[in-house]
Amino acid sequence: MSEYQQFLVERNKVDFLIQKGYLINNILENLNGSYVDFIHPNDQSKETLHISTANGRKYFSSILIKQNTTSYIKNE
Amino acid sequence: MADLSINLAGIKSPNPFWLASAPPTNSGYQVQRAFEAGWGGAVWKTLGDPILNVSSRFAAVSFNGQRVAGFNNIELITDRPIEVNLKEIYETKKRFPNHAIIVSLMVEPKQEKWHEIVKRVEDVGVDGLELNFGCPHGMAERGMGSASGQVPELVERQTFWVKEVATTPVIVKLTPNITDITATAEAAVRGGADAISMINTINSLMGVDLDNWNTIPHVAGKGAHGGYCGPAVKPIALNMVAECARNSRINVPISGIGGISSWQDAVEFMLMGATGVQVCTAAMHHGFRIVEDMIDGLNNYLDEKGIASVSELIGKSVPRYSDWGNLDLNYNIVAKINTDVCINCNKCHIACEDTSHQCIDMLTDTNGNSYLKVREEDCVGCNLCSIVCPVDGAIDMVEVSSDLQPMTWNERQAALNLVAQCKTDVAK
Ligand SMILES: Cc1cc2nc3c(=O)[nH]c(=O)nc-3n(C[C@H](O)[C@H](O)[C@H](O)COP(=O)(O)O)c2cc1C
Repeated sequence: MSEYQQFLVERNKVDFLIQKGYLINNILENLNGSYVDFIHPNDQSKETLHISTANGRKYFSSILIKQNTTSYIKNE
Repeated sequence: MADLSINLAGIKSPNPFWLASAPPTNSGYQVQRAFEAGWGGAVWKTLGDPILNVSSRFAAVSFNGQRVAGFNNIELITDRPIEVNLKEIYETKKRFPNHAIIVSLMVEPKQEKWHEIVKRVEDVGVDGLELNFGCPHGMAERGMGSASGQVPELVERQTFWVKEVATTPVIVKLTPNITDITATAEAAVRGGADAISMINTINSLMGVDLDNWNTIPHVAGKGAHGGYCGPAVKPIALNMVAECARNSRINVPISGIGGISSWQDAVEFMLMGATGVQVCTAAMHHGFRIVEDMIDGLNNYLDEKGIASVSELIGKSVPRYSDWGNLDLNYNIVAKINTDVCINCNKCHIACEDTSHQCIDMLTDTNGNSYLKVREEDCVGCNLCSIVCPVDGAIDMVEVSSDLQPMTWNERQAALNLVAQCKTDVAK
């Protein structure tokens, strides 16, 4: 699979969880890339995605920044 | 016509083009001819205890037909007594009162030595002084030049000694042979420098003769490292100027030096924070009259841009120079090959396939003609294909819009830290 195809797969997985209402809860970054933990605020159910492409890492990071800004606004 | 005059820490000159302290400014005869040709200022060849030079002093790199892409020398400071130089400086200043004459100085790191030379030189009426803390060979072995200039405390102390007696502006000329030039630039400012100039030459060995295994150049079969300058060093010099310009603790004017060969180079240095520029190698390569093109080109550029004074350029690009961590990770460009201009040499394909991201395909159209096409989704926008392409306009790097908000590495890391923090807070 090309790097781009791999990115599309990772992006779809992230989008799928976000659309279902999951929030990013923790990120572990190591030699394998990033492991992104998601949590659902309602039932506390958890999912983890392994993101291995550079564009995938940019993508979930952008979503995280958006999430931080919205939760900050909500907290205010 | 725009106003080309500059004022660098109180030193006024009719244009921003000065000759750097080097062979072109060795004598009154030369500096006066340079002023006649149009140079706005000259930094006199470094004065100090007259030295002895070796024979066979220069060497140059020719790169693919481009003569003097880089230039190397093992010449020292002036070999003429100070009275001779001072007499010529006096005469030159009298003939050209509106041109800037700055005198470069280098003595041992002793207070009385600095006091003596500063007083003697200022007595003949100069517009400023430049302290040579940069010469990387010969003088350095005697504790002067870059040996002084690599130690921030010595830069600060010697600048301070000069400022104790100097009545004209003092420019401290810095060596690039140091990991972080802002350390010595800050030291110069702490010592009271009115301005800084950079760069002096970079330690270099030009080559080894494959037939007789001598160094290039060699002196009776022996070589020693020299100082490198000319077009090849421009990017290094420009970065050093920019790093100093964006450092808030270095709040003095900068005289930019290093590889400046054209008015375009000068404009780049000024945009990156230099108040004026100094030139050595280009004058040695092409003669004094190269300044005519520099003046004309600069004038036309300013007129086309509707800029009234060259000083308006100073530092305009500095806010655009930052750290890698502040660059937008979501900004994307991709290569576009213009098939009507492309000559199908395949250099871009080879470069991309062998050394980059394998995203340029060699294809054949329905008529059997070969063409090259970029798979944009796999292109990371590295620019390599457009760099190796021999035909202007065959490859454009174009911005592709992103659905994502701008995001820097620093912002990303802050967001990751925040999530980790929240998690710990929850765990508590
Ligand atoms: C042959 C030669 C002699 C030089 N002598 C001096 C000198 O006496 N004092 C000094 O401060 N710099 C000296 N320099 C350095 C130049 O002033 C200048 O800093 C350097 O060459 C970079 O500018 P360029 O790339 O335009 O040549 C010398 C350079 C050359 C090539």
